Amino acid sequence: MNEFDDNEIARLLRLKRYEQPPPGYFENFLHEFHRRQRDEILRQPLWRICLERAHGLMLRLDARSLASYPAAVAAVLVCAAVISLKIYQQPETARVALQSPPALSAPITEGEWSLTSPVATQIFRTQPVRSFNGSAQTHRAAAPPRYVLDSVPVSYEPTFRF
Amino acid sequence: MDQPRVDPDQELVKRTQSGDAGAFDELVIKYTPRLYGLVYNMTSNHEDTNDLLQDIFAKAYRAIRGFRGKSSFYTWIHSIAVNMTLNFLKKRSRRFQLSLDDVDASIQNDKEFLESTATSSPVREADLSELQRRLNEAMMKLSDEHRAVVTMFHIQGMPHAEISKILRVSEGTVRSRLFYANRQLQNYLDEFRKNPVS
Repeated sequence: MNEFDDNEIARLLRLKRYEQPPPGYFENFLHEFHRRQRDEILRQPLWRICLERAHGLMLRLDARSLASYPAAVAAVLVCAAVISLKIYQQPETARVALQSPPALSAPITEGEWSLTSPVATQIFRTQPVRSFNGSAQTHRAAAPPRYVLDSVPVSYEPTFRF
Repeated sequence: MDQPRVDPDQELVKRTQSGDAGAFDELVIKYTPRLYGLVYNMTSNHEDTNDLLQDIFAKAYRAIRGFRGKSSFYTWIHSIAVNMTLNFLKKRSRRFQLSLDDVDASIQNDKEFLESTATSSPVREADLSELQRRLNEAMMKLSDEHRAVVTMFHIQGMPHAEISKILRVSEGTVRSRLFYANRQLQNYLDEFRKNPVS
């Protein structure tokens, strides 16, 4: 009785290379792949999508090189945090006082100035800066007069304590 | 045979890693027919093969950013395919059904197929449909690991070294599995010679 040897088995098995999927299968495979990918994305929660995007972005930016400077990155973040806290924890009254220089306030008579009274404690007159004539006051006629101390500070520069 | 040093898919892989989805589409188009043959001959079921292929490419797309090119993309995607298919077969082992409906009928008109069968006396005497059925039966009687080796070596034409990389076993293990599988297949297919179907 003849038996199959290895070559004959190999030849028989190679015939299976010709087994093919239904016609058009390979053409539609990519479309099906895209459709499944979209469905999978829609099923994911938003946070996971954001996480994956961020992960991809980090990889694209080659985050490994940034990781060699962890101290610098940490220092920058700490400095930014400290400066932010300094700015936003200033008392509101102090900011107004320092941001409203006396030179821009209402004119002060010579007699009110003295060496014993510091500038910050000057008593300002509460007269309007400008006097409006009646014809100029139209829709603001009923509004109370505005004073210098109510105005917006000239400078937004951060204040410093010494 | 040594793996070529320059990966022909390197450019497409890099583009995919930088966010070019179209580059991955090219890889899908390129490897779908080959991976289809691999997975189908391990599962013998078209629907399972289709689902597995979709999952394989989806997994590859998710993981490709971590692909560092230590092996070729060819080896990498085949490793994913073989491992996922073996895992699938373990789960499916108790509900296995041999699918013969998926065999393409046009195979009998394929010129290369006819030439290859013309010199084989057992095959020439057998009905081709019966031959396909017997081949599938014989293949499915092998263990999953042996079938994977037979599929990659005999059907896909991969060298031992490539198979050992994909399966992460030694070349000796690949040769041993192949030898054992051939002996088993010989036993099953001897029925062709004993009882050829006219």
